[in-house]
Amino acid sequence: MKKLLLATAIGFMGSLAAHAEGELQLYNWGDYTSPELLAKFEAETGIKVTVTDYSSNDEALAKIEAGGHGFDLVVPSNSFIPIFAEKGLIQPLDLSKLPNHANIEPRWMDVVWDAGRKNSVPWLWGSTGVGVNTAVYKGDINTSSIFLDPPAELVGKVNVTPEMMDAIGMATLYVGGEVCTEDTEVLKKVRDLLTAAKPKWMSMDYGMEDKMATNDVSASMYWNGAIMRARLVNPDVKFGYPKEGYLLFMDSVTLLSEAKNVEEAYKFMDFIMLPENAAMLSAFARYGNGITGSEAFMPDDMKTAPEVAIPEEFLALGQFIPTCSPKAAEYNTAIWTELMK
Amino acid sequence: MADRSFSASRLPGFSTIATIVFVVLYAPIVTLVIYSFNEGKTVSAWEGFSLRWYQQAWSNDIVQEAALRSLTIATCAMLIATTVATMAALGTTRTGPFRGKSLISAMINQPLMVPDIVTAISLLIFVAAIKVATGYQGLLYLILAHSAFCIPFAYLPIKARLESMDLSLENAAADLYASPWQAFRRVTLPLLAPAIMAGGMLAFVISLDDVVITTFVKSGGQDTLPTYMLGQLRRGTEPDVNAISTVLLALTVVLLSLFFLLTRKRN
Repeated sequence: MKKLLLATAIGFMGSLAAHAEGELQLYNWGDYTSPELLAKFEAETGIKVTVTDYSSNDEALAKIEAGGHGFDLVVPSNSFIPIFAEKGLIQPLDLSKLPNHANIEPRWMDVVWDAGRKNSVPWLWGSTGVGVNTAVYKGDINTSSIFLDPPAELVGKVNVTPEMMDAIGMATLYVGGEVCTEDTEVLKKVRDLLTAAKPKWMSMDYGMEDKMATNDVSASMYWNGAIMRARLVNPDVKFGYPKEGYLLFMDSVTLLSEAKNVEEAYKFMDFIMLPENAAMLSAFARYGNGITGSEAFMPDDMKTAPEVAIPEEFLALGQFIPTCSPKAAEYNTAIWTELMK
Repeated sequence: MADRSFSASRLPGFSTIATIVFVVLYAPIVTLVIYSFNEGKTVSAWEGFSLRWYQQAWSNDIVQEAALRSLTIATCAMLIATTVATMAALGTTRTGPFRGKSLISAMINQPLMVPDIVTAISLLIFVAAIKVATGYQGLLYLILAHSAFCIPFAYLPIKARLESMDLSLENAAADLYASPWQAFRRVTLPLLAPAIMAGGMLAFVISLDDVVITTFVKSGGQDTLPTYMLGQLRRGTEPDVNAISTVLLALTVVLLSLFFLLTRKRN
């Protein structure tokens, strides 16, 4: 009991001192921040980083919008960054304080959600494609028909991630439309395609890094990093980049308007844009970073991984989900609700 | 002579339904516990017995801090909630009838009726305003929020005990010139102690399990075990999460068993 009281007392004192020199409050996705990186940062700068987890963009937005959150940096996904910026929740970056900003790879510099990277610096990125067990299906895996029109071998063995924007986005590209379209003809095709495909699916679930590794699921629309982890256990698993188009996502670090440890935040953002440090982020979470020259510092199993280094011929086919207009979002939600029935 | 009174156990299909219910309730939990001892990394193939995930979880600093924080919050919330609940239970049972007595009971039990997410969002807005005004970011917000929603869980067993207790003992104490305080201290409180402890344990368990309200109220660096575990899900669960769940489950079972023993004892 005494110990607990003591612990509480220490807890209070610790939190009172939260804005002392050398502190940084990072609000990030759970299980996404390399502890070795934080230790290295603290050793070099003396700044102690406290990480707090969230599990969805909406959760992070709700909490930050309420105010009084006490965080300095947050790491939203691409389509959420314009929302954070428009609401004035994040502040434009002073690029003169970020000498390593020049290390950002050209393809991640002029991104749709932040041209010239004036509001955000890259954390990690990945792609939504298809994972296929090539022992079960020997045909072409670089197509969304794996789950939108499954070949006979895969009927009843395909999983689809229950992520609305990923599933509808991939289906929209498959029928030749644009993601976040308001064209009802295209949207009808998307709806018919998905509702016709659904009876051939086995499940709508997460956790493919395990289920595909053990061959409980033979194919799935899924994320590259997880499929890579499945492949390291089960070499039959391969990641396909659909030729009809596939989706990219990138989480980027942004500086909150209410940030109190601004200097420390700049130091941290600059730190993660050094190639060797960006590689530490990748090595931990198994996703690519956006920093030139980081490949040299990557673990060997990631340097050549086809899930991370997108093969040349598929490079142009990937695109980011834009921030949908309210009308397009409404259509997407309607299709999703109907599909979920 | 045959016992002809109604008994659910003689209805057709009773044992089948009971079996199904128990299997559905416990099969997933048993699977989780078994696989927390799995040597391998996957959750669907058994590769031998091992304690490695327990060791991994235990040696993880973040898990340790989150566990200590969870226990600190739960202990403080339990103490506050039980104290308030005991006073509330005395106030609603050991007083003459007054206007609005049942309304007050209903209001104390409000957290049981209102969905967690509603409480969470209203607390988010309310607490954010205080954080902005005072700049204080400490654990006190979580402790107070947890205390608030734990009160009815502590209140109900204490109130039930007070209502079933024999008033003649308290009356006898008064007849023997015990002051109201002495009667309470020497008679009511000892008789009530098991119910207070039971209510406290229930409050502790409820605080330990909370995710929704904690997520919305926590400040920087205040992840509790359940919110930490939820954050892990994005990369797929690692078996060390199974190990943590099993430990939490064991703690909950022990506390609920104590609760059961304490409330049963004097009936």
